Amino acid sequence: MIWRFTLRRLAVGLVQLSVLIVAVFFLIRLLPADPVARFVGMNASPEAYALAEQSLGLDLPVTRQFEAFLFGEGNDGGGLFRGELGTSWVTGSSVNQEIRQYLPVTLELITLSFLIAVGLGVPIGVLGAVNPGGAADKGTLVYGLFAGSQPEFSWGIIFIFVFFVVLGIAPGPLGRLSPLTDPPDFVTGAITIDALLAGRVDIFLEALWYLSLPILTLSFVLSGPIIKMVRENVAQTMNADFMFYGQAAGLPRGVLARDALRAAFAPALTLIGILFGFMIGGAVLIESIFSISGLGQYAIRSILAFDYPAIQGVVLTISALTLLIYLAIDVCQALLDPRVSV
Amino acid sequence: MADNKNTVLSARGLSVQYAAENPTLTDINLDIAAGEIVGLTGSSGSGKSTLAYALLGLTRRGAQVTGGKIDFDGHDLLALSDEELERVRGRDIALIVQNPRSALHPMYQVGRQISRVYQAHKDSGRTEAQQRAIEMLRLVGINDPERRSDAFVHELSGGMAQRVLIALALSTNPKLLIADEPTSGLDVTVQAQFLDTMWETSRETGTAMVLVTQEPGILANYCDRVIELDAGHVAKDVSASAFISASTKRSTQSPSAVERERQNHEPLLRVEGLRKTFPLRGTKKVVQAVDDVSLSLFAGESVGLVGESGSGKSTVGRCLLKLLEADAGKITFDGQDLAAIGGHTLRKLRQRIQIVQQDPYDSFDPRWSIEKSLLDPLVIHKIASPAEARGVIEESLSRVSVEFSVLSRRPRDLSAGVLQRIAIARALLMKPDFLVLDEPTSMLAPQDRHVILDVLKRLRTELGLSYLLISHDLTSVASACDRVVVMYLGQVVEVGPTVDIFEKPIHPYTKALIGAHLEENPETRRVERLDRVDLEGEIPSPIDLPVGCYLATRCAHATDACHKERQSLSPFSSHHDVRCMRVGQFELDEAS
Repeated sequence: MIWRFTLRRLAVGLVQLSVLIVAVFFLIRLLPADPVARFVGMNASPEAYALAEQSLGLDLPVTRQFEAFLFGEGNDGGGLFRGELGTSWVTGSSVNQEIRQYLPVTLELITLSFLIAVGLGVPIGVLGAVNPGGAADKGTLVYGLFAGSQPEFSWGIIFIFVFFVVLGIAPGPLGRLSPLTDPPDFVTGAITIDALLAGRVDIFLEALWYLSLPILTLSFVLSGPIIKMVRENVAQTMNADFMFYGQAAGLPRGVLARDALRAAFAPALTLIGILFGFMIGGAVLIESIFSISGLGQYAIRSILAFDYPAIQGVVLTISALTLLIYLAIDVCQALLDPRVSV
Repeated sequence: MADNKNTVLSARGLSVQYAAENPTLTDINLDIAAGEIVGLTGSSGSGKSTLAYALLGLTRRGAQVTGGKIDFDGHDLLALSDEELERVRGRDIALIVQNPRSALHPMYQVGRQISRVYQAHKDSGRTEAQQRAIEMLRLVGINDPERRSDAFVHELSGGMAQRVLIALALSTNPKLLIADEPTSGLDVTVQAQFLDTMWETSRETGTAMVLVTQEPGILANYCDRVIELDAGHVAKDVSASAFISASTKRSTQSPSAVERERQNHEPLLRVEGLRKTFPLRGTKKVVQAVDDVSLSLFAGESVGLVGESGSGKSTVGRCLLKLLEADAGKITFDGQDLAAIGGHTLRKLRQRIQIVQQDPYDSFDPRWSIEKSLLDPLVIHKIASPAEARGVIEESLSRVSVEFSVLSRRPRDLSAGVLQRIAIARALLMKPDFLVLDEPTSMLAPQDRHVILDVLKRLRTELGLSYLLISHDLTSVASACDRVVVMYLGQVVEVGPTVDIFEKPIHPYTKALIGAHLEENPETRRVERLDRVDLEGEIPSPIDLPVGCYLATRCAHATDACHKERQSLSPFSSHHDVRCMRVGQFELDEAS
């Protein structure tokens, strides 16, 4: 059952992705932008312009360009169908490699932030529901108003000001490591994991240290909705008839607590998944503030440079990841809750 | 009062209070003897459910037991620790609640939910508990319990879920079973079957039972003793027969003067071959809500339309007002074909046909005062000038015996019974000839029900109003209608005068339906009747209907022909039609 459900959802995901590929490719080319001029400069001679246009492949009709994007040019072994996203017009290196380099940075940042946000948000939400009007509940309310009142980048700046500038207890926004430290060998791209793989606990700790403020900022903003969602769900479940009935049937308290969590967790899972998918592309401002060169930074750079292959690559990567995450949530939902039709 | 030796539970001075409110229960004393079935009744808000839960030492969130003691099995339940209480609940005292589908956890198989309660109390292994669950499901009459035990609650009908709950409650052989309105929301035939099962099980196992209900029919048919609560006090504690004979007796409607010259007149409303289907989204299949309905209603006549939920009663009612377009068939009202008219003519006609819906809170705008709600139709239809309006409204309200002071109130300030009467008054503002009443009493407490029925009967005498009373409550129909139309799965299966339908039903479905009707008479208890006609199994799905008679799969008299041939509604005697090819042959079956 669950396999058929997963396969069906994967098939739907592929269709969505295909539509997106077409849309992204043609929409970019509808922009009133001239990437060639950007490439050769405004005062280039017509010959140089023509040459550049040719080298970028922009002299071809748009349908030919699309064909080349899908199947590669000639026998260069490229093309989307072979998993190649093309060559960046700015750096000249493969978009695949660049995404391979930047994506783990972003994933590392938001995964760690989510671990903290969920790790704190769920217990706080449960506490608030179990003891409405108690300290945890009231604190949550104030915090919810507070955290939600400003966007994450302004919190980032405030935290830098308070913890780095005023208190001096946090590192400056200089990236993932001190500029003086040699990064560990590139294996996964996530610096904490690579440091551990290289056996360098000191670099691992340093990376965590440098990531602490960005993680604090993200998890501070993210835990607001998570706490609220968990609180509402748990409160609702605790008032549910089946909890009352379970009590009347003399079920032990441990069993009842498990029942409540199971019923409350399913909807919260959806929210966490959606937030995560959103953050893959949405962490860009945090990355900018803390000089972390992640996928968001890469996307901004590509867009400003009219680097079409890179833009396409970023959009497709984010969409594919988001689709996979949604699929994973749906599968978990279906496993947790039999009412979700599979 | 029960003998001390046999007393299972006795409560003394029990009081329960919700925070900062007046006590919900004050100084309750009661005893329950072994094997006894005690009915616990009282109007809504009298504290019945609160008392039922308190007997388990349990309160809803926000409530607290403020005093008294409950002696059970040599202990005072209220003095036990939480852990000790956990062991008593579910093992010695079990509970059944009124909404079984939300009382079961939505994410566990129902069999598992039974077995884990059994495991928690009986120290048994998992396999043994699973076997016990299946055994219990079989005991409460669930077909194929091995498969059903793997079902989740959303896959079960309300009746089936209620059986699961009773299987769960009885799996541990409790000494006392507390059932809080266990059959509200169930159809009459299912209700009767369910209560029979519960009654039989209680008699077999010697389990004492507290049955919370507002239905005098249930009290009369299943209870030995009745405790009535009034505003948190015990108002009565008497035998069931004493309780019923004290409450006003209500009689079945005797055939009224409407038998008058029916042949000479054209009926006010005539429906022929009405059919209505609803497409099922995403498939080519349709739900057959109304399959073949023909009926007629004469001026001044009241007709009851009965059948279980899903039989298409309400759809018929909506087609009569052209709120739904029929797929086929012809509806004629006072000589006008409803299909042929529209626009202004239809609007004019709709003034003459008014509808009263089931839930009065849904049919009034909660933000409007009653006055505004009543004024609105008068203005829209230009029936009265603002100066006259007040008089028209007051006349209408006095017809339904509602005080004028309600005019400034809002719907949520009024009780369901009063609001439903205002809904009728609103319909009367249009000076209609004909009212469609769609389950007008099903949301109401029995007392309010009687008031509505009295109002309806009076309106007929005073105004010559005709009405179609759609209801699954046979008591209402019996007391307020001249004729009864019985529907099953979108078809009319029997039509006849009320007395004939109730006393000499012909169609096997009508027989079962009438048999399931719980009369408010302890002398003719259903459980003691031997000639019960029960239907087997569940109603077929209205999506894949049988080819022949829709009842064939559940009917004891069905022959091969019944399964193959479509049946038609044919006259049985004058004014009495039946849709059954084997009419007149059952007596042979029964004799042999």
